Amino acid sequence: MAPTAVEPAAAPLLRPDSFGRFGKFGGKYVPETLMYALTELETAFHSLATDHEFQESDKSQNKCNTLAWWLDGFGQARLGQELGPPYVHLCKGERFIELAFLGTELEGILRDYVGRETPLYFAERLTEHYKHPDGKGPHIYLKREDLNHTGAHKINNAVAQALLAKRLGKNRIIAETGAGQHGVATATVCARFGLQCIIYMGAQDMERQSLNVFRMKLLGAEVRAVHSGTATLKDATSEAIRDWVTNVESTHYILGSVAGPHPYPMMVREFHAVIGKETRKQALEKWGGKPDVLVACVGGGSNAMGLFHEFVDDKDVRMIGVEAAGFGLDSGKHAATLTKGEVGVLHGAMSYLLQDDDGQIIEPHSISAGLDYPGVGPEHSFLKDIGRAEYYSITDAEALEAFKRLSRLEGIIPALETSHALAYLEKLCPTLPDGTKVVLNCSGRGDKDVQTAIKHLEL
Amino acid sequence: METLHIGPSPMERAGLGAGWGCEKRGVSSGGWARGWAAAGAERAGRRARRSPAPSPGAELAIALRDYVGRETPLYFAQRLTNYFKNGDGEGPQIYLKREDLNHGGSHKINNAMAQAMLAKRMGRQSILAATGAGQHGVATAAVCAKLSLDCTIFMGDVDIERQSSNVILMKQLGAQVKSVEGTFKDATSEAIRNWVNNLENSYYLVGTAVGPHPCPSMVREFQSVIGKETRKQAMEKWGGKPDVILACVGSGSNALGIFHEFVRDEDVRLIGVEAGGNGIESGKHSATLAKGEVGVYHGSMSYLLQDEEGQIIGPHSIGVGLEYPGVSPELSFLKDVGRAEFYTVTDEEALDAYAMLCRLEGIFPALEAAHALAYLRKLCPTLPNATKVVVNCSGRGDKDVATVVKYQQDRAHFPNI
Repeated sequence: MAPTAVEPAAAPLLRPDSFGRFGKFGGKYVPETLMYALTELETAFHSLATDHEFQESDKSQNKCNTLAWWLDGFGQARLGQELGPPYVHLCKGERFIELAFLGTELEGILRDYVGRETPLYFAERLTEHYKHPDGKGPHIYLKREDLNHTGAHKINNAVAQALLAKRLGKNRIIAETGAGQHGVATATVCARFGLQCIIYMGAQDMERQSLNVFRMKLLGAEVRAVHSGTATLKDATSEAIRDWVTNVESTHYILGSVAGPHPYPMMVREFHAVIGKETRKQALEKWGGKPDVLVACVGGGSNAMGLFHEFVDDKDVRMIGVEAAGFGLDSGKHAATLTKGEVGVLHGAMSYLLQDDDGQIIEPHSISAGLDYPGVGPEHSFLKDIGRAEYYSITDAEALEAFKRLSRLEGIIPALETSHALAYLEKLCPTLPDGTKVVLNCSGRGDKDVQTAIKHLEL
Repeated sequence: METLHIGPSPMERAGLGAGWGCEKRGVSSGGWARGWAAAGAERAGRRARRSPAPSPGAELAIALRDYVGRETPLYFAQRLTNYFKNGDGEGPQIYLKREDLNHGGSHKINNAMAQAMLAKRMGRQSILAATGAGQHGVATAAVCAKLSLDCTIFMGDVDIERQSSNVILMKQLGAQVKSVEGTFKDATSEAIRNWVNNLENSYYLVGTAVGPHPCPSMVREFQSVIGKETRKQAMEKWGGKPDVILACVGSGSNALGIFHEFVRDEDVRLIGVEAGGNGIESGKHSATLAKGEVGVYHGSMSYLLQDEEGQIIGPHSIGVGLEYPGVSPELSFLKDVGRAEFYTVTDEEALDAYAMLCRLEGIFPALEAAHALAYLRKLCPTLPNATKVVVNCSGRGDKDVATVVKYQQDRAHFPNI
């Protein structure tokens, strides 16, 4: 059966469309052998979104007719069952399709295992720090993803993908990792669900991150050293893809960010969208309104999409992504893909990426491993191009200052990745009217970064 | 059970009574020479009643929710439960109270947050604390940063080496870390010495349920949020109470935190697990309730590890936070009246339990909490099918990875490393 294309007129509103495109970005640039696996994955994802235990007790409270639209394996929109909140998020209008994945099992795991919901914390001393002499300034709130089990937002996606893998009958999980954080998150969920776990890691990285390697092994994962190329993240990624192509029947590839071929960008975004959903609810409880400005760091882009997605249609909510400027944008040693990159294909998706004139990937640099990525999620590329979100960058030095600042002012040690978003407050806050509500995604805790910080800062 | 009502506690006089009132007291801890707490708490109470600010209770509740991340989940450990099933597929149902998910990584912050707020209301700018594993130090440093208080942490040089990652965290949070020759007990003595020299301006933030009155009951009250949540969550999850509650015991704050709510429920079994070190006959352990004798230490009468001459015996445990020769007077009391049971597990059994939880549930328990988990091996075969067991997972074990790895070569627990 040939796939039925969705009408072009609908395309700009569909994020993504049936081919996995956000405007011109995204898509599925992969070897033929992986096409079926990706389609199968997408179908499983959508079937999970409609698979739930509809509680009789909720029916009486169900005021609206929420209908589940989902895409079948051929990209055709189909009407699903009538479902009540909180299981399905309503799509706006007939063509705009949005699915919030909140299966009962996943909800229980997010609550009891991961520790959600995470608080929306009013950072009093940080707010005080940014007040003008006349006492005016924005109000700064931190969305505490650092409090999640394993200490970062990554686990939201990892648990959901592990559940998905089990649903697909795949008991073998692979992932690649750079500094080890995604590897640890993956190994964690594999232990929890009793899945076999293989992590590909560059031999160079293994040496620099031996403690994370031990963590993964303690969790029961097999860590495979990759010696090819520069023996770092991009080589580990290639090796992981090679493994997946070979073992696609038995294996699921847990991709850690909103990058990669469709359906990953959409799927990973949906799994992190709980961040933004909680934020909306908590903002309403705390000040009876919405955030005015959202700020998040951007490496691949998963924590940012997780916070932004809920508010993309709220035009009065400003969205700011902060990338890594490393040693400075003109130094050539940075990871500011959306500022300095050009459009191309990397890891299966069309997006902005750091490439030279010959189309070769430029080795990025950032003090924070999680932002040290030459690409970026295709949806961010799209949001930038249509002007819905703004993207800036912060240097290593500025991030380190912010790392120290939050530790001293609020007693929260942020991840160096998060510190980039925090550093941007220095530039942002003086421009904001009194009482502006700023929500910053505190995407991870920085215990893992103190050694690095000591080397660069004087404590 | 023996009950002594001794009138309103200092906390109650300070206007902190609602929900934290100590209506019931067991054997009184040793007398208090200069009523520091009473006087200071009185002043705080008067100040609190004058000011239009939110009540201390409300302020603390907000901080516990938004800063610390409470409430912590009561997590059904499916794979751990399956692991302990017998040949017939029967066994208890094991739940973990996830204090490891708190900001800072342990239950210590429940108490540190509350006491730091108290200190601030008392007008004290300088906070002093002693720490063993470093968790109390980290928690205190964090809350001091948040409340803009000066923070000095005393830590034994032996502990500084064993838990160096926590030392780095404390410094990053702006605390001053002072090294003391020895371990936690020596750091405690030094901290108290410093405090006594500056009673007017400083506040000694005790990290556990030991010390002179009102420290033990105050710390217990601040930690009792653990037990209160557990009762509510148990009711939501299975419509009943826990049957057995398991917690590790160093000095006793996490154990009392979860036990306290259920002390009057005679059908709830309370089990504390102490550090057996190299074995309780080896002389190298911290099993105060198993092997100690009654005496006075750090301001109160309780069980403690002492020799015939009354000299303190240096304790040992791989769980640094359990390494204390004394124990909370209230736990001594609960043992004596038979309300709670106390057992021990060795270093090796704790390491085994650490590995077990990593593999089965993807959770790194603190080596201290691993002692409680280790006791499941002895306990589960004795329990009827579907008994509800709640283990207080008092902290996360990131700080212990290096220690565990150091032991890997001698152990058969990590064959693929």
